[in-house]
Amino acid sequence: MLKTESIFAYVAKITLTLLLIAALVAAALALVNQITEPIIDRVNAEKTQQAIQIVLPGGYEEVITDYTDETGLVTKVYKGAKGYALEVTPAGFDNTITMMVGVDFEGTVLGISIISHTESAGLGAVAAADNASGNAFREQFLGQSGSVSVSKDGGSIDAITNATITSRAICDGVNAALACVRTLEGGAA
Amino acid sequence: MNFKKQLKEGLLTKNPVLVQMLGMCSTLAISTSLFNGLGMGVAVTVITICSNMLISALRKVIPPQVRIAAYITIIAGFVTIVDLLLKAFIPALSESLGVFIPLIVVNCIVLGRAEGFASKHGVLASAVDGLCQGVGYTVALVLICIIRELLGSGTFGGGLLNGGEGIRIIPEGYPAMLVIMPVGGFLVLGCVLAASQWLTRRMERKTKKKEAAK
Repeated sequence: MLKTESIFAYVAKITLTLLLIAALVAAALALVNQITEPIIDRVNAEKTQQAIQIVLPGGYEEVITDYTDETGLVTKVYKGAKGYALEVTPAGFDNTITMMVGVDFEGTVLGISIISHTESAGLGAVAAADNASGNAFREQFLGQSGSVSVSKDGGSIDAITNATITSRAICDGVNAALACVRTLEGGAA
Repeated sequence: MNFKKQLKEGLLTKNPVLVQMLGMCSTLAISTSLFNGLGMGVAVTVITICSNMLISALRKVIPPQVRIAAYITIIAGFVTIVDLLLKAFIPALSESLGVFIPLIVVNCIVLGRAEGFASKHGVLASAVDGLCQGVGYTVALVLICIIRELLGSGTFGGGLLNGGEGIRIIPEGYPAMLVIMPVGGFLVLGCVLAASQWLTRRMERKTKKKEAAK
């Protein structure tokens, strides 16, 4: 049997050592975070900027916070001279896809750009890729209005081969954006 | 320390992926392009070296009863630092590896080396061990990546060469999608394991024959 005193010392030693290690690691992390946080924020902001530039010619002038969205997919709305850029987050095959959809005041799609996603490489990821097949898929949305769906569901969008779920997700995102703009414009008129 | 022996162990006889079967989850999940493989390999190597060194330096201070908790805390610290740095300076890589960077915390290679080597050896030897095991992991990973990318996407060096598209070797439409999918990961891993076993066995037999001839 250990004496009460020695048990106390033993527990104290273990606890303190672990506490000290945790504190040191936390301090190191705080330091690194302080350096990287502004850079990460800037990188993310730049990405959003770029995405808006792609889908909304002329960029945006104001951020709209007062919008109605029944789908729950719209996360941000930017308004520019030519229309709106909406950040939407539909559920993809793997996880949520974050994308920017440009819509003009008449409710026509100006362009879509995928900001981040974790779709399967070579399948769903094609939607975001800047190559012939990726662009061809995204260009189908240009000029669309009302609501869109893939040809399998009776719509006019040709889904990416073997990536119907991703294609449907992008249609969902575009539909959410179109619906949101309809309420915005309908409310104004 | 015996650098040559440690390197040989890391690359061949005790390769973390091909022999010890550690870090399978990340190996299967991200081995879809050369860029991913190299990035993941370098990240794991850096983290293993750093955590090995710190754990080795603290090996006499850390009470054995709580050593695993202490190791994991240290490893998690380094992983988070690498994660933050990647997000800030190489966002493209951070995006394509996604959750698998934070998951290096539970990668058995890092903890395995801490427990199996760094806790019993000096700082320098532990650093060398981290480097050798990391290089072994990277080499195995890159090998699987090259095979999967070539057969599955038909390219070489995706995300890295030719403006991120990779050099197309098999024309579009012909590559077997299956290889890029998780199923393909298992298939390719199995084949690579079999090939490496066959090679090491053959090498062993040859050295034995040589010894017998003497």
